[in-house]
Amino acid sequence: MEELYYMIYILVFIIGLIAGLLLSYKKHMEPYIMSEIDIPSLILAIVGWFFLLNHGLIRFASPVICLAIAFLFIGYVIGRRPGYGRRETAIGIAIAAIVWISTSGVLF
Amino acid sequence: MNLMADILINVIIAFLAGSLLLGLHRKVMARVQLRPGPPIVQYLLHSLKFFFKEVSFPKTASMPFYIGITVILAGIWVTGVIVGPVAKGSLMILFGIYAIFKIVEHNSGSSSGSPYGKLSCVRAVFSAAGELPLFAVIGLVFLKTGSMNIADVIAYQSAHGPLIMSIPLAAIMLFALILTKSPYSPFAITKGKDIVSGFETEHYGVLRGYIMFSESIAFYILLWLFLTLFFGPISVVGYVIGMILITIITGVINAITPMLNPNHSVMSQITIAIVCIAGTVLMLVA
Repeated sequence: MEELYYMIYILVFIIGLIAGLLLSYKKHMEPYIMSEIDIPSLILAIVGWFFLLNHGLIRFASPVICLAIAFLFIGYVIGRRPGYGRRETAIGIAIAAIVWISTSGVLF
Repeated sequence: MNLMADILINVIIAFLAGSLLLGLHRKVMARVQLRPGPPIVQYLLHSLKFFFKEVSFPKTASMPFYIGITVILAGIWVTGVIVGPVAKGSLMILFGIYAIFKIVEHNSGSSSGSPYGKLSCVRAVFSAAGELPLFAVIGLVFLKTGSMNIADVIAYQSAHGPLIMSIPLAAIMLFALILTKSPYSPFAITKGKDIVSGFETEHYGVLRGYIMFSESIAFYILLWLFLTLFFGPISVVGYVIGMILITIITGVINAITPMLNPNHSVMSQITIAIVCIAGTVLMLVA
């Protein structure tokens, strides 16, 4: 049964990658230049990475749904055209990692 | 779970994960060479695209064989998924699959009638010695664990620790094989750009789709085999991290090394194999 879940995670990740790629090409007509952080992508990256690393903290939904949402959002942000989404992903990982470290009992 | 469903799910996972890993491989190579590179999902999109493209056939093609060989190629790698991740069966069957793959590579090149394909066909025969490391790895794993069954090797490692600690030179040999099979490898003489795309040059449309489908699964199976044989019972997170790391390492190596000429390629592989076999046997005896 676990393989079925892994297949679902890979599928939603790929759907996220393709959606991110197509939408970012519509949104950004020019190659990547250092610019302001894209707020919607930042929110998706934070939610995605939070759900991936901290799905144990979430009580209102099953881990499978949390992880599927996480992979969709993460795929959407890192699948954007080259350059875009890097800083948003880094911030998402940092926030999710800080929450994980502070709640998992690694430090204390 | 139903066996057929298990096989189907594992084949889909192997295809999708293998495609993403090959996409990551191209991305890593591009970044090393200071290019942006294609998106990671590009390899998968290319594979799917070919399934909907018009098929055309060269006039020189040996017709039933030209089509059949791509189906056989896909068939042997689906068998690889069944023997590997699904059944955790015999290593000898996996070696047999690699031996058949060499024959398919050879015949795929010759069946099109293209001069590029024929050169690739000759190189496939020439580079059959490159499979020596895989056979040696299987033999050395058998000498160490007393079994050629993947499930038994995993059980041995859970009791005695990962094999990479006890026979590291055998792991280096299998890594050399992964390097050989990875795209743009210094040893990938059958698909060298000097012969366009080698045995794949004259296969279009859905036939190329089958070839790309097979390549994705083949890459995934090789990485799965390496991690399973040398790192013991690891979790799915371990597999994901391991596969990504190996893909990045091979991408970096392939980005900074030129393709060797066929003689040097084969001799390098055989030299690595002989040194690692001798070293491992000495370690086992001592």
